[in-house]
Amino acid sequence: MEVLSLIGNGFLVALTPLNIGLLLMGCFVGTLLGALPGLGPVNGVAVLIPLTFAFGFDPTSSLILLCAVYFGCMYGGRISSILLNIPGDEPAIMTTLDGYPMAVQGQAANALAISGVASFVGATIAVIGLSLFAPVLARAAIHFGPADYFALYILAFATIGGIAGVDPRKTLLSALIGLMLATVGIDPISGVPRYTMDNFHLYDGIQPIVALVGLFAISEILLLLEKTAKERPKAIKVDRWLPQWSAIWPTRWAMLRGSGVGFVAGVLPGAGASLGSFMAYVFEKQKSNAKGTFGKGDPRGVAAPEAGNNAAAGGALIPMLSLGVPGSGTTAVLLAMLISLNVQPGPLLFERQPDLVWGLVASLYLANIALLILNLPMIGIFTRLMMTPTWALMPVVAAITFVGVYGISNSIFDLELMVFFGVIGYIMRKLDISLVPLVLGLLLGGDMERALRRAMSISAGDWGILIASPISITLYVLTAGFLALSVWLAVRDHKQSKAERLTEG
Amino acid sequence: MSVRLFGAAVFAIAALYTLHSQTYQITFGDVLGPSVFPLIVGIPMMILSASLVIFPTGQVEWPGRDRLWRQAVALAAFVGYTLVMEELGFPIATAALIAIVGIVMGGAPWRAIALGAVFGPGLWALFDKVLGLPLDFLGTLFG
Repeated sequence: MEVLSLIGNGFLVALTPLNIGLLLMGCFVGTLLGALPGLGPVNGVAVLIPLTFAFGFDPTSSLILLCAVYFGCMYGGRISSILLNIPGDEPAIMTTLDGYPMAVQGQAANALAISGVASFVGATIAVIGLSLFAPVLARAAIHFGPADYFALYILAFATIGGIAGVDPRKTLLSALIGLMLATVGIDPISGVPRYTMDNFHLYDGIQPIVALVGLFAISEILLLLEKTAKERPKAIKVDRWLPQWSAIWPTRWAMLRGSGVGFVAGVLPGAGASLGSFMAYVFEKQKSNAKGTFGKGDPRGVAAPEAGNNAAAGGALIPMLSLGVPGSGTTAVLLAMLISLNVQPGPLLFERQPDLVWGLVASLYLANIALLILNLPMIGIFTRLMMTPTWALMPVVAAITFVGVYGISNSIFDLELMVFFGVIGYIMRKLDISLVPLVLGLLLGGDMERALRRAMSISAGDWGILIASPISITLYVLTAGFLALSVWLAVRDHKQSKAERLTEG
Repeated sequence: MSVRLFGAAVFAIAALYTLHSQTYQITFGDVLGPSVFPLIVGIPMMILSASLVIFPTGQVEWPGRDRLWRQAVALAAFVGYTLVMEELGFPIATAALIAIVGIVMGGAPWRAIALGAVFGPGLWALFDKVLGLPLDFLGTLFG
């Protein structure tokens, strides 16, 4: 019952005219960004963060705007998957498998409607889960000591990106580069300037916002410049905009199952929406593919991954808000924004700033309703806007990125740093090294070091304190489990690709 | 080869980083001091990057020359923008940035220039006038 009254208060925060306006704007812009091939939620949110600073809103309103963009992106990703066979972002890849064949068979309107409703079901279940579980997790996390936090950060690094199947060494190296960058600046405990190269701009450290806008937005533009020669395929025409209930209803169980699977994947630190949609699709295929229709335009193959990726997106907010450890790339970006706004996510956030937490939760309920309303009848507008040529869109995005970052600090040095990180981001993406662990390292590095040093101060230099509590031991066991899993997956992928090469040869 | 080069570069940086950490002194009341955490980060970095040099994974396809020059021009435009923005003022610099990036992205030159001409002053008006973020209109050169 306590939760209900807290959510009730949250609605009072969310229902102010400013927050409602931001919510609607975020939903619209997010859906559009998600629908544009190439610009996924991480990039979308990264591009908009500087703008949010420029607006000068309070943290609650900023977070409501960006979370609406985040949810909108997750909704919008499916539009280009279904109509163009190009996933707007990684989690939308699974939707292309059955969504595009459905569209080819003249079922585009139904595929869009099913995916829209599935997104709503998945995201709503995730927000209900968020309302119920996040406070419980936060309450449990109050018992965490500095050594336990240190173990928690290690778990976050071990899991993020690791299960995706890329080389775990690269993922870990990316996280370490982030941690290295986090040590630049004045050491908060001893006051010694570290790795600043006597450049006073670096005394404050590297601003995570500047780094991540460069890493994601600028590198995206450099990547797009490789692709301009390719003509974009023509979108499949959608004959009608009103959905058929008879097409949606049979997919209800697939939506619910997908939501459940996706939610669990989202809550795990680091797993994120890509894993959510992948697991939801695979699970549904195993359950319902008796006639071998999956991959050929089965509506359940659209409903499950869409519900899964949206549920995962909501689930990923749970560890971000209650532990201060993001569950996905986009929540890492949101965390960076919160830290820059002097809001420290974690267990105490629920006690100290209930308006922010519950205002956000309430606004997510509202955002889902707004997105459903936007996405069913207004799909035609998004389809037309989606066809904006890249040459017209990206230069404007680039300019907004520059002015946004300049607006935060009025510093040309920050702009130069952003371009530098853009080049680094481009190189790392080309080498198949995930950027999210780097951002996470940069974000959490300071806290991780402080937790370690505080723990060592308590124990007067005895390293045994790191494994002295049951919480930290449990977290290390989980870390070892995740590492073993990611190594096993990497070895399996390596063997598979080797076998494929042999059969091709 | 690219992965090896990256590994070697990161190894060199990590080695310098680790070595340099030893110059930071422990102060009174700070058990671990400012040099231990960089050590904890730097040593595994060296091991991992060295392992990438010895056992690289993944195939990297870099863009051909026809694409590379586009990226170089865009990058030059970005760097140039940071250098001249305060001198030229926001609308002119931004219009030029949008036009150049638009052209290298494959837009027809006159269309890209028109886009810059609209959005350069448009973004200035939006940020400076509507959002209240002070941005120089004429810059130090003309102002």
